[in-house]
Amino acid sequence: MMACGATLQLLAGCQGQLSTLHPAGPAAATIAEIWWIMLAGSVAILALVMGLLTAALLRRPDSPGEPERAGLWLWTLGLAFPLIVLAALTVYGLKIGERLLPREGPDVVTVTAEARQWAWSFGYADAPDLATEDILHIPAGRPVDVRITSLDVVHSFWVPRLAGKLDALPGHVNILRIEAPVPGTYAGQSAEFSGPGYLGHVFTVQAHDPAAWDQFLAEGAP
Amino acid sequence: MNLILRLALPWTVWLIGFSALYGLQGLTCSRHWPAGIEPRAALIGAAALYVLLQGGILWAQAARPAPSPFAQRVATSLSAAALAAALWTSLPVLGLTICD
Amino acid sequence: MTTRPRGTALRLHRELKRIWSPDPRFRGWLTTNNNNDVGRLFLAVATLFFLIGGVLAMLIRAQLATPGSAFMGPEAYNQVFTMHGTVMMFLFAIPFFEALAVLLLPGMLGTRDLAFPRLGAFGLWVYIFGGSAVIVAMLMGLSPDGGWFMYPPLSSAAFSPGIGADVWLLGITSIEVSAIATAVEIVVTVLRYRAAGMSLSRMPIFAWYILVVAVMILTAFPPMILGSLLLETERAFGLPFFQVENGGDPLLWQHLFWLFGHPEVYIIFLPAAGMIATILPVMARTTLLGYGWVVASAVSLGVLSFGLWVHHMFTTGIPHLGLAFFSAASTLVAVPTSVMIFSWIGTLWKGRVRMELPMLWLLGFFATFVIGGLTGVMIAVVPFNWQVHDTHFVVAHLHYVLIGGYVFPMIAAIYYFQPLITGRFRFFRLGGIAFWLVVPAFHVTFLAVHLAGLLGQRRRIWTYDEGQGWELLNFIASVASFVMAIGFALVVLDIAINTLAGLRGRRNPWQATTLEWAAPIPSPTYGFASIPIIGSRYPLRDDPKLDLRIARGEGYLADTSRDRRETLIVSTAKGEPLQVAVLPMNSPLPILLALCTSASFLAPLIKAYWLSVVALIGVVILALIWAWTTAPRRTEGLVDAGHGRHLPVAAEGADPPGWWGSLFLLVADGVHFGALLFGYAFLWTVAPNWPPPAYLRPDLLPVALALAGAAALAAGPRLAAWREGHGPLLLSLLGCLALAAAAASIPLARPTPTAHAYDATLWLLAGHVGLHVTLSLIMLTYLGLRRLAGHPLRLGEARTFGLWADYTAGTGLVALAAAWLPGAFA
Repeated sequence: MMACGATLQLLAGCQGQLSTLHPAGPAAATIAEIWWIMLAGSVAILALVMGLLTAALLRRPDSPGEPERAGLWLWTLGLAFPLIVLAALTVYGLKIGERLLPREGPDVVTVTAEARQWAWSFGYADAPDLATEDILHIPAGRPVDVRITSLDVVHSFWVPRLAGKLDALPGHVNILRIEAPVPGTYAGQSAEFSGPGYLGHVFTVQAHDPAAWDQFLAEGAP
Repeated sequence: MNLILRLALPWTVWLIGFSALYGLQGLTCSRHWPAGIEPRAALIGAAALYVLLQGGILWAQAARPAPSPFAQRVATSLSAAALAAALWTSLPVLGLTICD
Repeated sequence: MTTRPRGTALRLHRELKRIWSPDPRFRGWLTTNNNNDVGRLFLAVATLFFLIGGVLAMLIRAQLATPGSAFMGPEAYNQVFTMHGTVMMFLFAIPFFEALAVLLLPGMLGTRDLAFPRLGAFGLWVYIFGGSAVIVAMLMGLSPDGGWFMYPPLSSAAFSPGIGADVWLLGITSIEVSAIATAVEIVVTVLRYRAAGMSLSRMPIFAWYILVVAVMILTAFPPMILGSLLLETERAFGLPFFQVENGGDPLLWQHLFWLFGHPEVYIIFLPAAGMIATILPVMARTTLLGYGWVVASAVSLGVLSFGLWVHHMFTTGIPHLGLAFFSAASTLVAVPTSVMIFSWIGTLWKGRVRMELPMLWLLGFFATFVIGGLTGVMIAVVPFNWQVHDTHFVVAHLHYVLIGGYVFPMIAAIYYFQPLITGRFRFFRLGGIAFWLVVPAFHVTFLAVHLAGLLGQRRRIWTYDEGQGWELLNFIASVASFVMAIGFALVVLDIAINTLAGLRGRRNPWQATTLEWAAPIPSPTYGFASIPIIGSRYPLRDDPKLDLRIARGEGYLADTSRDRRETLIVSTAKGEPLQVAVLPMNSPLPILLALCTSASFLAPLIKAYWLSVVALIGVVILALIWAWTTAPRRTEGLVDAGHGRHLPVAAEGADPPGWWGSLFLLVADGVHFGALLFGYAFLWTVAPNWPPPAYLRPDLLPVALALAGAAALAAGPRLAAWREGHGPLLLSLLGCLALAAAAASIPLARPTPTAHAYDATLWLLAGHVGLHVTLSLIMLTYLGLRRLAGHPLRLGEARTFGLWADYTAGTGLVALAAAWLPGAFA
């Protein structure tokens, strides 16, 4: 793990193995982009509101009979302004949400993730006899559907640098699309409180190049 | 009390319609949904009914006199707001993935 | 109006003070039901819980200050964060605004007390007993440790075997009962107990907000109470509502919990918003911009908040269209909020602001809540939510909203109303220093917490390793949080010192325009010497001598010769005088009933079910005594209300206060029943192990009994309203028995409720019928005893019982139909 300066860390959260601001997969990258856009918009709106508030505080109206400007405050700023901003944001968010859903495709790989207090078991559709504990192997550069469930309480599958999280619920199977563009390891953690062992309920995703993936499917973990 | 009911009606109908639409979406994805009915058609139909109903409420509220201009104004604006909300929260039925 | 002698005001004050005074000495605190006393006790106890919750927060930040901290282990930490959330949400936030409402609402509305003073006192004591039990359990190390939203299966018996979860479920449910009691009281008060001439459009803005909030409590708490009932019966008796293998589904809990939990956030925010809309115009020496807009926004926000619950469940695998509905509703909720914010800024714009301490805290609100609102919109965006859900980003967001949107305005409210509540003005000036400690430190703390969340720090982990870039952020957050805690301690100290040793002063120090400031300072127990007559939304501005006229007895009900506590009931829309309400005198009944109620809730903690049963019998007996002693002994006809008006006493009308209270209590009851049906439908639709092995097939006899019983129960009270004699009551009794027999056929046919969630649900449906039949029987017993004692049945009594009977018959038929229909079609 690389050390990085405090300032830089505050700015971008560089190098965090669990940082959503240091994305590696396409889903995480898209969501990080949403964040930066929303942050910029929010700062602008905050500045506007605080500016208006300051102006209102400093103002000393000359006569009590002045018009209230209810149209400006209520119709324009109160109603029209948020409606336009929120309509744009809602549509944008839903469009991206659609794009991140698991869709069928020729090179989709399916794996299973089974959570329990406090470990993860992973299985592989392409090698039914294969199972791994706390390390999920995937091919790099291919979309992977993780079929997530739980054997006991509610857990959540989350690899922050690859994609958002999805819960592991007993009796249900949820499917999450992840993808790691380059080979390497990515830190994962359960993200739903599950009792005293919650802190240690973590796992690793190991992304392989095509050759290493084939070898893994044939021979199991090295 | 009648006035209070009038003020409460538009948003209450919004909430019931909203929940019913969500319930219908759940039903279309469940084991009980009959194979012959296209889920999206059912959802769009239900949403259209719901928006129409809200529109009807707005019309009725605007047409019927209230005990005071204030009550009339608030009742009508609540009905308009609930209609806008019904439209806004129903729009996703037009295009989004229903069961994944 | 003729001018009375100057001595009139003093004489009237003495008379009213005698009639309205609490019992002497310590006993007075236990038997009082006056809103001033109940409100002050409520406020003090809620503040105490705020301090306890604050200490727990400090323990959390101390633990997270450095990586690998050895200060607490996970077992202790899990209890601490669970209790921090629980205490702050249930024992501080809700009771605190209820306390302010109880204290201030009668003054704002121009009435002498709340509609049901004894119910208010009952709510206070249930809260004190339930809250104390939760704290005592914590001190014994028996706290819940599954997080304040208690997700099963983690909170089920298999994974949380101790009594911690039971403490949460039973303790919190008893506090919810208290909140519902207070909410019923608030709704009826706002709708009916106001100054003469106070039409809806002349109501102070806080009354609108608190009316919305009280209705929200009545509709949001019942799903939570149902959830707690399901989970507690699963834990205690094995009814498998959340166990997948037996037809349950843990997601059902999440729906029920957030069906309550999201409105809860707005239940907490809206009273604070009401305070802002009350205080801010006074601080700006003007009136609120867009009163009608703000009313419409408050109503819209209140209802919209019920359409957001699934946004706490965006990562549970609900299909994208389902999420989209809630994402759209969640962004939409920002619109009424925006209307309010800009109405307030526009108010400041048109006024001339004075920078007093309450105003300073309101600025703290703006600087904080707007940020919380913006991050709230962010997490309404589904993909972003998938990343930050259950991280410290959400923790930071909710603290921005709750501290910025609730605690800061409430501090402003306390400073603003301090002269009215304590009779003292600020002399010591710690408050300004405290503000500059709290607000900047708050932002440092929680901006850092936001970033830690984005860097992947999960909420609820008890410690963390170095190397993720979290160390500095957490250290900064912890240091700043301690500065903030010192600031909050200074606020409490400042208020305490000024309460004990502040300056005395004149009435209406802020030149406010609403009626609560017409009273002398501090507000006397009787509130108003006579019920004000008003002709505008800003009575003190438009009628400068109103306070003197009230004190001289020139409003309604200035005649003390009837020697009892009276206040005016007005028509809901226009505020015309309708009836004279006679309010109860001091009594130990509320505290005794609260004691029995709390005992029945808490006894199952130590598996003392017999004690529960004994306590419940006590509840019934005390409730009968309560009703008996509050019912008037004789018929008065019209009484002189002043100004030449002769009005009926409320108890003799067709819609006595008990009828109104029952109506709103039944609203809550109906939502509870609706939540039960929702749970049934939810399991039927999505639970994995459905359908059950066999559905219950209805027999002809129970169906016939149910139909006949419901018809008789509905007809009985209607007959009683226009016919004397025993017949109608006997008909109701037969109806109850027939309905009970029909319901009893269900558990007889399916004797094992633990077999499948379907069987468990059937038992609850039958239980719903059984409970309401029992309630109807208790009321019948009461009416029968009254008849035997020679009191004729009043129209109001018959109609009140009629409400309950109709509800019992109606929901009884629906419940039984729901139980029988799947089997009839299978």
